[in-house]
This record gives sequence, structure tokens and C-alpha cells, in this order.
Amino acid sequence: MSAQDDLRQDVRVWAEARRLDRAHIDRWLALDAASAAALLRAASTLRLRAGQAQAALEMLEEIALREGVDAASVLARAPFKRILEGAGSAPARARAFVEQLKAVRFPRLGQALERLKAQVAALKLPRTVILALPTDLGSDELRIEIRVRSGEELRGAMRALESRIDGIERILDLIGGAL
Amino acid sequence: MNFDLDEIVIEEQCRPSPLAARVTAACAGVPVRFTADARHDIRPDPNAADPFGAGKRRMVVMNRRTPFLMACPAGSSEFACCGYLVMVLASNCPMDCSYCFLQDYVADNPAFQVYANYADAIDELERARRRVPGRALRVGTGELADSLAFDRITAISRDLVAYCASREGILLELKTKTDEIDNLLAVDPGGRTLVSWSLSPERVFASSEKATASPVERLRAARCVLDAGYRVGFHLDPIIAYGDAERDYLELLDQLFDFVSPSKISFISLGGLRMTPKLRSAARRRHAHDPMLCGEEVLAADGRYRTFTPLRVSLFGALERRIHAAGPAILRYLCMEPASIHRRVLGHPPAAPAAMGAALARH
Repeated sequence: MSAQDDLRQDVRVWAEARRLDRAHIDRWLALDAASAAALLRAASTLRLRAGQAQAALEMLEEIALREGVDAASVLARAPFKRILEGAGSAPARARAFVEQLKAVRFPRLGQALERLKAQVAALKLPRTVILALPTDLGSDELRIEIRVRSGEELRGAMRALESRIDGIERILDLIGGAL
Repeated sequence: MNFDLDEIVIEEQCRPSPLAARVTAACAGVPVRFTADARHDIRPDPNAADPFGAGKRRMVVMNRRTPFLMACPAGSSEFACCGYLVMVLASNCPMDCSYCFLQDYVADNPAFQVYANYADAIDELERARRRVPGRALRVGTGELADSLAFDRITAISRDLVAYCASREGILLELKTKTDEIDNLLAVDPGGRTLVSWSLSPERVFASSEKATASPVERLRAARCVLDAGYRVGFHLDPIIAYGDAERDYLELLDQLFDFVSPSKISFISLGGLRMTPKLRSAARRRHAHDPMLCGEEVLAADGRYRTFTPLRVSLFGALERRIHAAGPAILRYLCMEPASIHRRVLGHPPAAPAAMGAALARH
């Protein structure tokens, strides 16, 4: 068997053991050899679950296509190397790996979310009030949750909101495109 | 423009039609087959590697069995609506844009259909016009097909433009990504036909809009029809938010205003890239190497993948400001966006659908 055949076999064994679906195994095998091997190393080192491997494969394909590079060169970048070679539990590093891929796949979304989360944190709202940003900033709607167990808590929550209306409006503007 | 056809299928009852005669005369060398009922021939070819793509190369001349006029499929209570009435004279398109909604919408009947009984469409329109006297109707043929892609062969635009030229209250919109305007230049539109072009920056054109006319060719064609008495409008749709998108779309607007004075533009619509999960899968399967399909789209509240809201709205805002600066009187609207986004970008709620049609008819 050639090295290429060995690699294909290793990918199949790893993927089938984790019940990765056929379509994703085929996509993995369709990567160039260096990229397929790099993903296999990452998947084995971090003990990715099937869902994580699937998400990683999809994001790697998309990053590679958008940037005109191969997946192996994406995984060779410093942030991924740090995760792959770093300390910590495999599940924690696996989560960090997928998060890092998401940060590369959605760079401007990541920045926007960071900025918005910082604005929400700066409001220093009491625990009774939660400002929930729209999932993945997929809409311009801000959800405000108030959880109280007494009239006193309710009045406190309302006062907190009232005194921060300008800041909340600013967050709404940011969600609505004033980035 | 020349598009490849593998085959022409003509329904027997359409054999004597002027359309069948025009098509066979213009496509010498393309195999022609006659069939009693073409409805089977519009289905996907199960043996084709890309049934949708194969459908584009099989032209079927047939009679339409259902009404020609329908509400725009983009219309929904979720979105602000521009009051567009669709006249279906053909289905599918010989061009192949990677983001095109037809990849899902006509996946079950992908053959390129043209309807020989299109005179019935004109009768339908006449009846619709009489039902609502005094109301302006904005009617377009470019929703399920490009209005002009095969006009060199079918010449349907001549009949349609000539009919609308003498009908008060009708605004015909021919929507295209081609520069097929020869037939238009031979007819006097009487101010009642508007030709609209979908425009994209060079980068999107090169990456995603196969077999279309280039942006400059579209703009040149727009200038020509304007000089010939047509009105013109432009759709910046879909706007794709790639890295340098804002710069490129603003340059595109500058280029547009160089070709066509803002005072001569009837409208500019803006629409973001939007894809249902099913369309996204089909598009990525068929255009696996188009990086424009790998932008920062997220699943939005309406179940479609869209560029995440702040980025999309900020791009709309930049374009709106440039358009407003160039021509404050140009009618603008957003396609398939909720009223809240309309307010954020344009500063006012969307007009009612009928009002939009009337405004365009008057403008």
C-alpha cells in the first residue's frame, strides 16, 4: 500500500469509529493529502467528537476556499499549533480548536460579537436583568430578560434598565449596523 | 449573447406557432424534437451529473397551462414588498449565477421553458388592468428567467413593449444581466418600459456570474436603451459582503453614475445575499469553488442564511449614503428585508406594495 492509501485507511478507521457520516468522510478524503493528514492529526490529538470533526472539516474547507490556501496551511498557523501542542485536557482543547476555526471562518462576526459583549458587560446590569444578543447577530432584535422573585427586585431591575437606556440604545445601534 | 443549447423540444400543438418558427430558424444546428406533451421533458434528467445545469441547455417550447401573472415569490408578510407583479414568459435561465434561487426554486422542472401562447399573457394583463382602473401596475418578466437572455431568438420583448407602450397605468420591467438589447432598440416604448440590470462588482461577476454580460457591458447597454427612450433601474442584488465589498460596491455605484446620470435612474434596489439552507446546499454543490458562497452568513430569523446583521446593514447604509448623495430623488428600496432594516437604512418605513408600484409607474 502507498502512503496515500495508508492515510485514506487511517482516516476511514478514525471516522468510522466515531460514526462520522459517509458524506463527510468522502469530503475529508477529497482534501489534498497534506490537509487530510493534518486534520487527522488534529482530530486524533484532540479526540474530536463526530460533530466537532464535521464542523472542523466544513469550516476548514470554507476557509481554504475563501483564502485560496489548503487546509494544511490553515492548521499550521500559530493559534492552531498552540492548541494542538498545548497543555490542558483534550476536550477543552477540542472546544478551543473549534472556536478558533470559527474565529477564522467568521472574523468580522467574531470582532462584532466581542465588541458587543464588551458593551453589554460595561453596563454592569444586576443579575436580575439579562441582555441577550441575537444568535450570531442574525437579526437586529435585542432580547431583555428580567427574572425577579419580589417587588423589590423588580423595582431594582426596572431602575437599572431605566438608568442605562442610553447604553442599551447604543447596543441596539451597533446591532443595527453602526459598527 | 450566445448560449449553448443541447436540444430544442417543441410541443406538437406549438409547432405552427410564430415562436417555434423563430426558435428553429435562429438555432440551426441544434437538434429539434417534437413531443405531444412537453411536461415530461421539463423534468430533471436523472442521468445527468448536474440535472439543473443540463436543464438550462434544453429549450422547451410549450404552452403554459397555468396563469402567466403571479405575485412575486419573494413577497411575504415578513418583508417589505415592492409591489412587483410577475409575468412568467419563461422559466430558468441560460446563465449560471452561483447564488441563483432558481437552483432550488425550479429544481424539479429545470428545463429552459418558453411559452408559445405568450399572447395569452398579454390578455391576462389587459384583464388585470381593467379590473383595477386607475391603479398603476408594475409588471416584470425577470423573476423566473432573465427577461432578455434569449430575446435574440424569441423576440418576445418586441410584442410586449409594443403592447405596453399604449397602455396607461402599466410599467413593464425587463430585468436582465445581459446586453441583449437589439430588439428593444427597434421598438418605441412610449415611456412605459423600464429595463433594469442586476449589477455586481467585477469580482462577483468573475467569481459567481457565469455567462452573463460584464458589469461594463450591462452599463453600456443601459445607456443605449436610455437613449432610445426606455427608463432604467438597477438592482444591487445580491450584495455579497466579502472583504473589500464596501469599496468595490461604492466604485460600482460611481461607475454606474458615470454611465447614467442619477437624474435618469428610476430606481435602485438593494438586497443582501440570502439563501435557504436547501438553496445553499444546492449552490455549494454546483459551485464548489466559488469563494463568494463562503462569506460570513449566519442563519437569520427568517430561516435564510444572510450576512450577519450589523455587517449587512452597515454595507446597505454606505451604499444608501452614496446613492443619496448622487441623486436624492432616486427611488430606493430594499428587497426581502424586514421593515426594521428598511427604517434603519432608509430612515423611513417601507411604502405599501401598491404605493411602490404607483411610485415607480409615476417616477
